[in-house]
Amino acid sequence: MVIHDVVVVGAGLAGMRAAIEAARAGLNVAAVSKVHPVRSHSVAAQGGINAAIKEADSWEDHAFDTVKGSDYLGDQDAIEVLCREAPSDIMELERMGAVFSRDDAGRIAQRPFGGADYPRTCYLADRTGHGLVHLLYEQLIKHGVYLYDEWHVVSLVTHDNSVRGVIALELTTGKLHRLHSRAVIIATGGYGRVFNTSTNAITSTGDGMALALRAGAPLMDMEFVQFHPTTLKRTGILMTEGARGEGGYLINSAGERFMKAYAPSKLELASRDVVSRAEQKEIDAGRGVDGCVLLDMRHLGKDRIAERLPQIRDLAINFAGVDPVIAPVPIKPGAHYSMGGIMTDVDGKTPVEGLFAAGECACVSVHGANRLGGNSLLETIVFGRRAGKAAAGSCIKGRGLRDFPDPALADAASAIASILNRTEGESAHRLIAGAREAMEEHCWIFRTREGLEGGLKKIRKLRERYGRVALTDRSDCFNTELLTALEAGYILEISEAMLMGALARTESRGSHFRLDFPARNDKEWLRHTLVYREGKGCRMDYKDVRITRFTPAERKY
Amino acid sequence: MKVRFRIRRFDPLHQAEPYWQAYSVEVKEGMTVLEALLKISEDDDPTLSFRRSCRSAICGSCAMTINGFPRLACSTQVLPQYRKKGEMTVEPLSNHQVIKDLAVDMTPFWNRMEKVSPYLAPKEEPKDGWVIRKEDAAAIDSAQKCIMCGSCNAVCDSLEADPNFIGPAASVKAWRLVGDVREGMKKKRLERLSEGHGVWDCVRCVHCTEYCPKDVRPLEAIERLRAKAIEKKVVDNHGAKHTLALVDSVKRVGRLDEAAMTFKTLGFLRSLGMIPLGLKMEMHGKLPHLIIFPAIDGIKEVRKIYSAVERRKKKKE
Ligand SMILES: Cc1cc2nc3c(=O)[nH]c(=O)nc-3n(C[C@H](O)[C@H](O)[C@H](O)COP(=O)(O)OP(=O)(O)OC[C@H]3O[C@@H](n4cnc5c(N)ncnc54)[C@H](O)[C@@H]3O)c2cc1C
Ligand code: SF4
Ligand code: SF4
Ligand code: FES
Repeated sequence: MVIHDVVVVGAGLAGMRAAIEAARAGLNVAAVSKVHPVRSHSVAAQGGINAAIKEADSWEDHAFDTVKGSDYLGDQDAIEVLCREAPSDIMELERMGAVFSRDDAGRIAQRPFGGADYPRTCYLADRTGHGLVHLLYEQLIKHGVYLYDEWHVVSLVTHDNSVRGVIALELTTGKLHRLHSRAVIIATGGYGRVFNTSTNAITSTGDGMALALRAGAPLMDMEFVQFHPTTLKRTGILMTEGARGEGGYLINSAGERFMKAYAPSKLELASRDVVSRAEQKEIDAGRGVDGCVLLDMRHLGKDRIAERLPQIRDLAINFAGVDPVIAPVPIKPGAHYSMGGIMTDVDGKTPVEGLFAAGECACVSVHGANRLGGNSLLETIVFGRRAGKAAAGSCIKGRGLRDFPDPALADAASAIASILNRTEGESAHRLIAGAREAMEEHCWIFRTREGLEGGLKKIRKLRERYGRVALTDRSDCFNTELLTALEAGYILEISEAMLMGALARTESRGSHFRLDFPARNDKEWLRHTLVYREGKGCRMDYKDVRITRFTPAERKY
Repeated sequence: MKVRFRIRRFDPLHQAEPYWQAYSVEVKEGMTVLEALLKISEDDDPTLSFRRSCRSAICGSCAMTINGFPRLACSTQVLPQYRKKGEMTVEPLSNHQVIKDLAVDMTPFWNRMEKVSPYLAPKEEPKDGWVIRKEDAAAIDSAQKCIMCGSCNAVCDSLEADPNFIGPAASVKAWRLVGDVREGMKKKRLERLSEGHGVWDCVRCVHCTEYCPKDVRPLEAIERLRAKAIEKKVVDNHGAKHTLALVDSVKRVGRLDEAAMTFKTLGFLRSLGMIPLGLKMEMHGKLPHLIIFPAIDGIKEVRKIYSAVERRKKKKE
């Protein structure tokens, strides 16, 4: 057993930022991650990170855009924190060594992003996430954070609603380890891989949310999934919103910029849910090209594309066989971001004592029903920092090391042994494939009651079958099939929570669109959905949205 | 189309030797090697181990040896490779220990990275924040593209000969810091990088630059570090001395004066130790003119080039 003051689960941007902050407070901090930090999903973020750093802009404007983008489901006190603290966090990143792209005067440049009334997105060419992940990895080393990489956390250990540590599986040896700690911060990222067509890394399987749910923490607003308007056809690989921010057009098979009909003023830069639905409607109405619409960047010219969007060009050439300098790129909507997550307050605290969460796995909620581009990298930094600080603070204020319950390790070991020892049963890959198919059929951009009910039935059946999951690979070294089996469990639990939330929410708001309830309904639904684990199933509850300065109004772009 | 994959497998804890296993995969146009591997592990053989995450050439997980060369599985399309070679062979990265199948032990890679203190040690910040000009940012732009995939270290000739060599990937990180206008410990870093197993130990085989999937050009980073070291007068080491001796030799006689260079690089006493080697080389005809070094015919032209370079350098300053 190893002992640390704070254990951070996940080493993407949120996890690393949290770990650094806790280490700065002088504590002994460990980060446990199923992949090496620089392999985390955050590394793929392209477009940028928002902050009102220019005279002509203000954090209040940023907050308003965020609230409006969230379709008024975001908690306004949390959004205020996010936007007010953004500029100093950006400056701090620069001080750590980030090199944001510059304007001609040598100051940080900003580009326009969807749903924002001011060009307030800072960027590092089109590899912002990559730049920041490598930066924070450097800082992780500098601050002496212990790293357990390729350790897969399989359970959160709690007792009397208070966290005691985690149990993790070391991939190279197959051994289970106990990490005993005073506080735990979950930063395991999103659940984009609940779907097939997804921009997310293969590793984004919602692990931390499922683990928190099992440990008694509620998940919030799980029905809200952002569909990104521009993903490559076969692979779902993302073409950043920056491509439209830099001036790219969306056109249909007739060559029309169809967004004129859906968002006459913001056009291609309306908020993502609006653009994704517009695309899906064009495609469904037969104005698509082979199941896609087209992203046209040709008029930007080779030089601008080379300077501002070099990676996008490479991705389009390598993964879709199209050079955007010469031809428009076929794209379609794909699952992209998980607005829902572990319910926390503005310091990352969850209702389980000593347990914190930050980043995409958390729901503070700053994104409400729809996240604005550039706000989630910001969330990882601002709330990662705050969670790190709060977790450290709780230790400093006296949260000591409490007993690690004896049976925890044996329980985890027997759960894994039962999978490893089963000689015959269901294939983990098949179960995941089944879940993804069901989610894509029933819980996609347009939803209905019948569809969601059908989806729920399928997922519950799959969960039953999951009880008989069995493996071909029984080795203890680098057994990736075992990880897949564990992830299948997380995916199925998350899917159930999403479907329940989506079924209950009889309105359309932000990314959640019900064909049978196409209007927003503030009277009944200006509230968050909560899902708790109860026995093998789930129980639902609700929580009011916190409104401070912006009264809900209709959202027009 | 059905494509035959030959994959080198190995479980060092349980098997004495690596072996080849063949799989047949139905491949569609555009499909990547990573997709093929996923297909094998999902439909055919879940015991096959390999790393993957982003599947879009940015996380650095999936570097492996494909048809003989290090490549990212996720950005290498099967069919063009297959058409060229008639088959697909997939092996782990060379110069690395295998953990299992295609997954190699990256610990030495990360250790080398940590050796260069890979974080900015900034100078005092100006009152109204840093101004970083576009040119300043451009100098370290290609170094910033590194995804730490390990391909370069896998093909590095120096690293193969000397496991303690810092290697191309960590050199890139070092340049990313030394080349940063805000960095405050440039000289200290350059001194450390100039020690044994440091940047002067690169034999310039160019493999790193040739096989880097992100066009980072590690050799260029190494050359910039060397140039910066000399510029900052970090010259009390063999590598820098050797380079200065070379510059001097060419200026004097228009070619390499091996004897004089040895002397200048190693100093008088150590040079004495090199005499037996020199004599041996002489005996085998490897040292054409040990004693007399006449200047070449075009020496005037050579010196003109030197003055032009000097003038340009002055102008820049
Ligand atoms: C292609 C793409 C582009 C994007 N571009 C932008 C953008 O331009 N601007 C913006 O603001 N946002 C963008 N986003 C969203 C943003 O990148 C993510 O929301 C954010 O990076 C999430 O960071 P995170 O730290 O919360 O999680 P992640 O980066 O996903 O990290 C999760 C970590 O948890 C670890 N982990 C997971 N499960 C376990 C387990 N069981 N045990 C141990 N460790 C575990 C993983 O190894 C990983 O280290 C983009 C997203 C995508 C998909
Ligand atoms: S050029 Fe130098 S660093 Fe690059 S591979 Fe060759 S020896 Fe290694
Ligand atoms: S320099 Fe290139 S090859 Fe080497 S680790 Fe970085 S990206 Fe990979
Ligand atoms: S899977 Fe990330 S680089 Fe290939």
